[in-house]
Amino acid sequence: MTTPIISLENVTKNYALGSTVVTAVSGVSFVIREGEFTAIAGPSGSGKTALRNLIGCIDTASEGVVSVRGHNTAALSDRRLTRLRLDTIGFIFQNFNLINVLTVVQNVEFPLLLAGGLSSSERQERVNTLLAKVGLAQFAKHRPNELSGGQRQRVAIARALVTRPKLVLADEPTANLDSATGTQIIDLMHELNRNEKTTFLFSTHDHRIMDRAERLIQVADGRIASDEQVQR
Amino acid sequence: MWMLLSIAFRNLVQARRRTGLLSLAIGLVTLLLVMLLALTDGINDNLIRSATVVSAGHVNVAGFYKATTTEGAPIVTNYAEIRKIVEENTPGLDFVTDRARGWSKLVSETASVQAALSGIDATQETRLLRELRLAKESDYKEGGRDEVIGDVNRISEPETAILFAAQAERLGIGVGDKFTVRTETSSGRTSTVDLTVIAVAQDLGMLSSWSIFVPKETLLALYQLDSDTTGAIWVYLKDIDEAPAVMNHLREVFVQKGYTLMEYQPQPFFFKFEVVTGEDWVGQKLDLTTWKDEVSFLTWVLTAFNFLTVMLVSILVVIIAIGIMNVMWASVRERTREIGTMRAIGMTRSRVLVMFMLEALMLGFFASSAGAALGAGVALAVDAANFVIPYSAVRAILLAETLNLVIHPEPLLFSVGLLTTFTAGSALWPAIHAALLRPVAAISTTE
Repeated sequence: MTTPIISLENVTKNYALGSTVVTAVSGVSFVIREGEFTAIAGPSGSGKTALRNLIGCIDTASEGVVSVRGHNTAALSDRRLTRLRLDTIGFIFQNFNLINVLTVVQNVEFPLLLAGGLSSSERQERVNTLLAKVGLAQFAKHRPNELSGGQRQRVAIARALVTRPKLVLADEPTANLDSATGTQIIDLMHELNRNEKTTFLFSTHDHRIMDRAERLIQVADGRIASDEQVQR
Repeated sequence: MWMLLSIAFRNLVQARRRTGLLSLAIGLVTLLLVMLLALTDGINDNLIRSATVVSAGHVNVAGFYKATTTEGAPIVTNYAEIRKIVEENTPGLDFVTDRARGWSKLVSETASVQAALSGIDATQETRLLRELRLAKESDYKEGGRDEVIGDVNRISEPETAILFAAQAERLGIGVGDKFTVRTETSSGRTSTVDLTVIAVAQDLGMLSSWSIFVPKETLLALYQLDSDTTGAIWVYLKDIDEAPAVMNHLREVFVQKGYTLMEYQPQPFFFKFEVVTGEDWVGQKLDLTTWKDEVSFLTWVLTAFNFLTVMLVSILVVIIAIGIMNVMWASVRERTREIGTMRAIGMTRSRVLVMFMLEALMLGFFASSAGAALGAGVALAVDAANFVIPYSAVRAILLAETLNLVIHPEPLLFSVGLLTTFTAGSALWPAIHAALLRPVAAISTTE
């Protein structure tokens, strides 16, 4: 059995909406282990994004325990949570969320600069390797606004992987891509999962991702509707 | 840090219209501040020049002599001995001179004016004679020639005088003309002498409007004073800023040598008559002052200009600060998603704060540096152009005939530092807000 990276124990997340309290996640428990290629699926408003925020340590649970690599995220300071995100999680966003004023190579290098500890040449080597892997070596000096949607998402994937995180959290990574590009991106992530053993956790309602996922967690109304391993 | 600088710089470039407008505003205020400070420094220089030419040395050893308890004269007796002590005990001494002093009525055929007389020894006053710039005859005489006439060195001849242009104009006289000096001696007798104008100097602001130069012997004769008497010993130092320290040192020296000193009062000697005549003592008391004390009645000009500068720049800086704050708020709003992304990726709050502050610091520094450089250039050009000030009242206040703007490095650095600090200060609140944004809220806002 591989090591758990994420563990949710009876997690509930409530939001105040004016005077009303909305429960986005209710009593959810599951574990994500190293090397998984898992999709959290469900319709809009089912609680996928709230789960992504909790797992990604950018939000904290109202009840229950969210553990990332054994750390209870509710007990950590903002600074330590930030460090935990930097060291453990790579983010891929639906809208790519690249820094528009930086070039492709600088966008990918950015998390390494935040993390520190590597020399300039080590950073460059790692960034160039990743850009070659996602097929963007020739676009290194381009700005995000000079790239297509698919190319931007490849940059985002490279950025998410550059710190060699334990987990890549991808939120609707194909939502803003055309069908062919979306398929290419899914192929790329699957390949990285197989070859590099990178753990991927998707929040999605894209059937192409659900069809490729090795584990599918269905959520509805903030609860786990089903959690099944898929044999491929 | 290099990456944060790079992001800050590129964000400024990306929002180039906004950056341009703000830079223009910051630059213009810096330019104005530099110009005003250059003008203030120019006035200060004029004040020093006119004061140390007309009214005082850097340090003055003067005093009052009272023959009876009710009569006091602003003279120093046996001055040669005092002068020797000064020459032997003044650190950083450049040179020493002495001038006799008097107050009299100048009478010409058409007019009369009151004036302070400075009795000078031409052999000691090479600096004064070098500093005085002669006025064109047309400056003080209707229908006069457009050329400089007269020779200041003839002041060594007895019964001569150097006037300033405004006085010559008021008296309706010029070089070669005679006028009468009428005064009252300490014994109450009226004494007169006819003097010949040997040169007319350009005005040196307010101070020169009531001062003329005559040979020392002529003045002593007019007041029936002995030749071992003078008005004040003027001490010139290599560094004028040392004047207060040197004055205090000389006070100690004179006390040690057994001289009686008046209590230090930072005022010109003619403000002290009333106090001295009211005091119950006779004999000689020395009074030591600095050049600033002797022209303290003029420092209001500098105070007024400093006040004006502070008021004007404060108002403009507040307006700019509001502008910068608004722009930074807009920038934070526009970049909320970017902030959320950076925070999610692993950027700490402090780094977000630093990133926004760097943006403001760069904007403030570059814009104010450009403004300061431009301001210095304009100030130097204006100064080099020697613009003649057309109004006599303004000339009197600015203490010069031409617009004098002086650029020192310190005010330039001060201006850049002040505007950069204000720009950064204005950005602090929006930057803190950006740093405190919760990543989940920042990302949710845009997705």
